[in-house]
Amino acid sequence: MSLLAGLVKAELRKLFTTRLWWVMLVVALLFVGVGLGVLIAFAGVDQNGAAVPGLDTAQWTELAWASGSSAGIFVMILGVVLMTSEFRYQTITGTFLVTPRRGLVIIAKLVAGLIVGALFALAVLVLQAVTVIPAVMLGGGEFSLSGARVPQISIGILATLALYALFGIGLGALVRNQVAGVVAAIAWTYVIESIFTAIPALHVVGKWLPGGAAQALMSIDVNTGLGQPEWLPAWAGALVLVAWGLLFAGVATATTVRRDIT
Amino acid sequence: MVRNNFATMAAIEIKNLIKSFGPVKAVDGVSFSVEAGSVTGYLGPNGAGKTTTLRCLLGLVTPDSGEALVNGERYVTLPRPVTEVGAVLEATSFHPGRTARNHLRILCTAAGLPDARADEALEQVGLGDAAGKRVLGFSLGMRQRLALASALLGRPRVYILDEPANGLDPAGIEWLRGFLRHLAHDEGAAVLVSSHVLSEVEQTVDNVVIIAKGRLVRQGSLAELTGGGTGSVRVRSAQAADLAPALEAAGGTVERADDGLLRVRGLDAEAIGQVALDRRIVLTEVTQERSDLQKVFLELTEGR
Repeated sequence: MSLLAGLVKAELRKLFTTRLWWVMLVVALLFVGVGLGVLIAFAGVDQNGAAVPGLDTAQWTELAWASGSSAGIFVMILGVVLMTSEFRYQTITGTFLVTPRRGLVIIAKLVAGLIVGALFALAVLVLQAVTVIPAVMLGGGEFSLSGARVPQISIGILATLALYALFGIGLGALVRNQVAGVVAAIAWTYVIESIFTAIPALHVVGKWLPGGAAQALMSIDVNTGLGQPEWLPAWAGALVLVAWGLLFAGVATATTVRRDIT
Repeated sequence: MVRNNFATMAAIEIKNLIKSFGPVKAVDGVSFSVEAGSVTGYLGPNGAGKTTTLRCLLGLVTPDSGEALVNGERYVTLPRPVTEVGAVLEATSFHPGRTARNHLRILCTAAGLPDARADEALEQVGLGDAAGKRVLGFSLGMRQRLALASALLGRPRVYILDEPANGLDPAGIEWLRGFLRHLAHDEGAAVLVSSHVLSEVEQTVDNVVIIAKGRLVRQGSLAELTGGGTGSVRVRSAQAADLAPALEAAGGTVERADDGLLRVRGLDAEAIGQVALDRRIVLTEVTQERSDLQKVFLELTEGR
């Protein structure tokens, strides 16, 4: 067990001794911040029936508090890079020389990914707290940390970001090429997932995807004009997310354990 | 688990190793062993299968058949490999944005070694001043030293080095030779060092294993391979017929060839010149021949 703890610490050190992590953190916070800004600006505005609820409504708080899940792509990219940079710079050789039991290395990477994803989620939640709470109060509403499903959504963000880092590691192990991995992560979240989760008619498929399952976990069912979403129940969403996590973990292990490192 | 008896066991043992990549047989039935306290040169032209052999030995590549053992065990089953084996591989590389110290500290963390070993190892390879610098700005020679430092972290007794002299300047190569001799002869480590340039390792190694096209072509001690002889000198003169007996009288062994060419052993160029001067014989050529090992190496590996 202490062996694994050392390996997890080594993986975290790999990430925190290069610059990428804080660049990604800044970008993720900016991205979430811009989304929050838009939600604040358009609160209560009705555009052709696509309405954003008013600042003083519980629905707006829900929408705004859930915006942090959009940082998933950045932790996923971080996960992709954590894995692929080992191949890009061939540090995988040194990694496997120190720890020839490759399965352990992969487990350590996955655990490190979960930890980093959770840390990003905490940063995002802090950002949300310092923007959403004043916005609600200035809009004449009342913010309560226990209201408007804030706790449930917070847990959803924590789980989602942690698991997206893990997805990234699995994807990185599968494709190995850094650029291909990052492009695949973006294509997956912004093209495939966004199509299947944005259009309620496609939710039959979309609710089974990680993005849809994450939405289900947070139980965001606000109608923004495209129709009422049809997510799984929250508990099922959580199960689907975990299943995806296990799938990606399995992919990462299967693709790495036996292959020759030349 | 009871380990085998170290005293009777080779530090590195390769038995009938075979590895193919697709249709290419990279290593084809290679066997040899390396004993503690000696430096073994693993020689062959580029593409001969040296790197594949070493990667099989280090558990990075799975052989098709045969065995590659370190201290009597497969590398992947060693409980704490870095404390038994230090490896430098040609492709071992570094994240350019990470400092040398951090690179080594990460390895220490994963291996359960104290962070302090990172700085100690950097000092040992002469990179102490560059510890806090990012690898981005390192020359190839500095990277080789950093790779060597990573091999030293666990104070192992077996070293496996793939082309460690690549990118080193002449002073660096000289330093590496001394360092490897020190590890083997003073600290009793077993050192296996590969090279495609014989002259890089010729003065360092005790034993030689030569491989070409994946097959072992010769192995033995340096003395066995060169027949114990020293280099010969090519001497050309119009008066070769007079010169030859004079050289023999001076203690040389002379081999006569065509048109005034003599191959002389046992005398160096200066002594030969002195003999010629004393007899007032004009020399038209005096050439120190390449060492016999170089010739053996080329003969064994050329045309394969």
